[in-house]
Amino acid sequence: MSSKTLEIEGKTIDAAIETACREFNVPREKLNIEIISEGNGGFWGVLSKKAKIRASLLSLDVSFDLNVKENAPAKTAAHVITSAKDAPVLPTREIKAAAAPAAVPAVTVLSADSSAPKAKELLAGILQRMSFECQVAVQETPEKIILNIEGDGSGLLIGKRGQNLDAIQYILNKAINRSDTDRKMIMVDSEAYRKRREESLMVLAERIREKVKKTKRPVSLSNMNAHDRRIIHLALQEDETLTTKSRGEGEYRKIVILPAKRGNAVHHHSRRQTPGGQSTGYNKD
Amino acid sequence: MKELIKYVAQSLVDNPDKVEVTEVVGEQTSVIELRVAKEDLGKVIGKQGRTAKAIRTILSAASTKVHKRAVLEIIE
Repeated sequence: MSSKTLEIEGKTIDAAIETACREFNVPREKLNIEIISEGNGGFWGVLSKKAKIRASLLSLDVSFDLNVKENAPAKTAAHVITSAKDAPVLPTREIKAAAAPAAVPAVTVLSADSSAPKAKELLAGILQRMSFECQVAVQETPEKIILNIEGDGSGLLIGKRGQNLDAIQYILNKAINRSDTDRKMIMVDSEAYRKRREESLMVLAERIREKVKKTKRPVSLSNMNAHDRRIIHLALQEDETLTTKSRGEGEYRKIVILPAKRGNAVHHHSRRQTPGGQSTGYNKD
Repeated sequence: MKELIKYVAQSLVDNPDKVEVTEVVGEQTSVIELRVAKEDLGKVIGKQGRTAKAIRTILSAASTKVHKRAVLEIIE
């Protein structure tokens, strides 16, 4: 990690991050942000507790290399349609396990019956009726349609923990993917919220990893939606010293991180001590 | 507000022409009543009320934007 770390307080996390960007004089993407406290207990703007973050310059090993601008034309065959010519295409990234870069099929996906334009139109219609005047940029990959709302920067569109974005995304998925065929996930993003959320979840995962290792006790996280849980599961899946599980139902479903069962640990241990190293034939990837 | 609910509801149902929305404007809070065809009721409510909840979230975001409050009632 970088040598210089700052702790910054702000009215909201976004405000604190903005301060951090000014402090380091770099764009938000170049900062490693750890959220210390989220500023609980209040609705919109009436936060009773200040948000606190720890910021440092992003070092190379944690930097996110999936800049669409760089590899989209060559590898992912993503088609970008921008509603306004001058609207910047924000770098988006897909959630990937730390595995090797997935081989994306080089198929151009913007077929004639694509639902991307329909989704874009619907989203624009909703935003207009919500009195948000925003442009929508569409991007399509083989797996999903990404709709990026060029926000006004207020965060109102994103909502607390992204709830407004999630609600819009849910409605769009329901409305567009009504037929059983040709389903394609629609993702709605604004002001790189999805990326920021993922970063803070990764940081959270690391902190919990340390905590579980140290205390050898299960830790449960607060309620999360499926997408957020998935990020945590993926972040910790390669760690053999702990396991992650989801408990609860519906909205209240949450992740529990447990130390791995002793049985597994012993197995692992004995395997290491086996002379020759091949007698067990046990290979866990 | 009324237009928003109508637009969203029409995108979800099979019978968009049977979507009716009325707005009862109150002093601070307005109540928006949504009526849909009987067979579409499930579509606007959704599993465990998830769709209804999403519509309400969108409505509250939209009304916050114009510094008002609105409640959505789905009428059977």
